[in-house]
Amino acid sequence: MSVEAAPAPAAQSPPRRRVKQFDRPRFLRVFTAVFYLFLFAPIVLVVLFSFNSTRSLQNFEGFSLRWYERFFESESLRDSLIASVEIALITMVVATILGTMLAYGLVRARTRWSGTANVLMLVPLVTPEIVAGASALLLFTQIGLQLSLTTIVLGHITFSISYVTVVVRGRLASLGPEVENAALDLGATRLQTFRLVTLPELWPAILAAGLLVFALSFDDFVMSFFTTGESPQPLPVRIWSAIRFGVTPTINAIGSFMLAVSMLAIGLALLLPRLLGRRESGLGVLIGREGA
Amino acid sequence: MSDDIGAHSAEPSASATDAAIRFAGVTKQFGEATAVRDLNLEIENGEFFSLLGPSGCGKTTTLRMVAGFEQPTEGSIFLEGNPVEDVPPYKRNVNTVFQSYALFEHLDVADNIAFGLKRRKVDAAEIRTRVGEAVELVQLQGRESARPRELSGGQKQRVALARALVNRPAVLLLDEPLGALDLKLRKQMQVELKGIQREVGITFLYVTHDQEEALAMSDRIAVMSEGVVQQCGVPEDVYERPAGPFVAGFIGISNLLPGVAENLGVRLAGGQLCQAAVPGDCTVGTEVQLSVRPEKIWLDQLEPGMVSLEGSIVERVYVGTTTQVIVELEPGVRLVALEQNTARVEVHDRWNIGDRVRLGWRPEHSLVLR
Repeated sequence: MSVEAAPAPAAQSPPRRRVKQFDRPRFLRVFTAVFYLFLFAPIVLVVLFSFNSTRSLQNFEGFSLRWYERFFESESLRDSLIASVEIALITMVVATILGTMLAYGLVRARTRWSGTANVLMLVPLVTPEIVAGASALLLFTQIGLQLSLTTIVLGHITFSISYVTVVVRGRLASLGPEVENAALDLGATRLQTFRLVTLPELWPAILAAGLLVFALSFDDFVMSFFTTGESPQPLPVRIWSAIRFGVTPTINAIGSFMLAVSMLAIGLALLLPRLLGRRESGLGVLIGREGA
Repeated sequence: MSDDIGAHSAEPSASATDAAIRFAGVTKQFGEATAVRDLNLEIENGEFFSLLGPSGCGKTTTLRMVAGFEQPTEGSIFLEGNPVEDVPPYKRNVNTVFQSYALFEHLDVADNIAFGLKRRKVDAAEIRTRVGEAVELVQLQGRESARPRELSGGQKQRVALARALVNRPAVLLLDEPLGALDLKLRKQMQVELKGIQREVGITFLYVTHDQEEALAMSDRIAVMSEGVVQQCGVPEDVYERPAGPFVAGFIGISNLLPGVAENLGVRLAGGQLCQAAVPGDCTVGTEVQLSVRPEKIWLDQLEPGMVSLEGSIVERVYVGTTTQVIVELEPGVRLVALEQNTARVEVHDRWNIGDRVRLGWRPEHSLVLR
C-alpha cells in the first residue's frame, strides 16, 4: 500500500525539491510509523487499562490504582513477585560471573578447540526454549531433584550464561591482550592484572550483561513453566495460570509492573556503559577505582 | 638501581661487564612455523639497538621473548647476565612500549605512569616525584589528569614511553612505537626519542620495519629476515657495506645487477665489466650480484677510472629534493640514479625520457654480493 503511494507525492512536488524527496521517500516514514504503531499499541493498551477505574477492557472510564492495590494486596501474588525477583537476582549474579569467566577463557585461550568452543557457546541462544525447558525438566526429574525455585534458577542460569558471554566477549576482544601484557610488563601479577586492569575495563560490559540477564530471567515464561514447583510460582507462570480463568485488569497491572521493571533493567543496561565510559560519571564510585 | 636487583633477578651476580641482553642460540617456533632461528646476539649496556626487518621477520617475536610474553623453543636469553627462562614478565627488569600503546583507559595519565611504581610498593612521595620527572621528560606537563582517550596519538605515545621509563628498567623494549604516527610527528619523535635515550642512558631495544628510522637512531642495527639475522652492525656498515642482497635491497634503494665474478670485477650479463673488489671466497665464475647505491651513480661527465655503462632513460621520478632517473642498460636491467635538485641544476632540463646516457661510479662503490 505504502509502496504504491510513493511515486505520487514525488511527482507532485516541484522539480527543485525532487532530489531531496528521492533521498528520503515519504512512504518510509509512513511505514516506520505503522510499524511502531503495531509494535507498541498493544503494550500501551495494557498499560492504559491497568489504570482503568472499572473492570472494562474496552472503555477507559477514569484513572485509578485499584488493580495495582489488588495486585500488591494479594499474598500469593506478592510471593510470586518476590520469587521472581529472587530468581532474577540470583540468576544475574551467578550467570554474570560464570559468563564472564567463560568469555575470558574463550577469548584468551589459545588452543585448537577455541573456535569450536566459541561456536558451541552460541547454541543456547538459538535452541528453542521449549526444547531447553523440556530437557531441563527431564534432567531434574531423572536425577531426582525436587522442582522448586532452585530448579528454576538452574534453568535460567543455563540459558543466561550465553548472553553474558556474548556481551563480555565483545568487550574483551576489543580490549585486546596487549593491555594485559602491559600490566604484566609493569610488574603486576596475573591476579593483579585481572583486578586492576581487566576488570575495570570490562565493568561496563559486565554490568550491562547482568542487567540484561535480570530482565530476561524476570519475565521468562517457558523455562520457568517447565522447571517450577508448586508454590510459589514465578510471576509469569502465575499470570498464565490466572489468565485461564479470564483476563482481569489485575493482570494488566501485573503486566505493566513487569514491563516497568524489565524496561528499567534494560534501560540501565544500555545507559550505564555509556555513563561509565565518560570521565565525569560516577565510575570511580561504582567500581572502587584507586587514586583520583 | 640497587633496589631493583633483588626484585628482578634471581641472582645478584650481574656484573658491569655483562651484556644488557644476550641471546644464545634462541629459536622460537609457532607450530610448524619458525619465527626466530638460532639467534645469537649481544646487546651492550646503554646501547640503542634496533631490530630491523619486514613484517613477519621475527623481530617482534624476539622482543616479546625478552619481555617474557613468549618463551624460546630452544636456547637462552640472558638479561644482565642472568638467564630468564623461569622469570615471569612481571619480575623481569625490562619494560615495553607497545605499538598500540596499550594504555589503561580507566586511569588518567599520572596513574598510568605510576602503575609500575605502585606494583613495586615504591612509597607515595617518591612515586609523585618520579612521575613528575617522567611527565617532564616526555613533555606532558599539564596533562597529568587527562584520560588516554582525550590524548592525541603523539601524546599517547609519550605516556606509553613515560610509563615504561619511570621504572628505570635495565632495558627498554620498543615495538614500532612510532608506527601509528604521521610522518612529520614520527621524524620529530625520532629525534626526541634518541635524545631521551642519551639522557637516561638506558639500553633501548627498538623494533622497526622503517629503515630510515633505524639508521637515524641506532647505535647498532640487526637486519632480520625470515627469523634470521642477516647482518648486524653500525648504521654506516649496514648501509654502505650490506652483507647480502637482502640487506642491500631492504635498506635504501639498491641497484642489483646479476653477473659473474672475474678477477677485476663483475662481468654483467650484457658483457660489460664493472671493476669491483671481489671478496676472496668468490672464485672466478661464481654467479654474484653487483650492488651500487643510487646516490653514487654519476650521469655523464664521468671521471677517469670509473665504471662506465651506457643506457637510455626510461623514467624520471621527481621526489622533491632529488629526482630518481631510471636508466635501462638492456631490456629488463635497470638502474636508479639520484640527482640532486640543487639551485644550479634542474634535472628535468637535463634528462629526458628516451635520451641515451653514459653513467658510472667509482669502483670502490661497487659491491659484490652473493
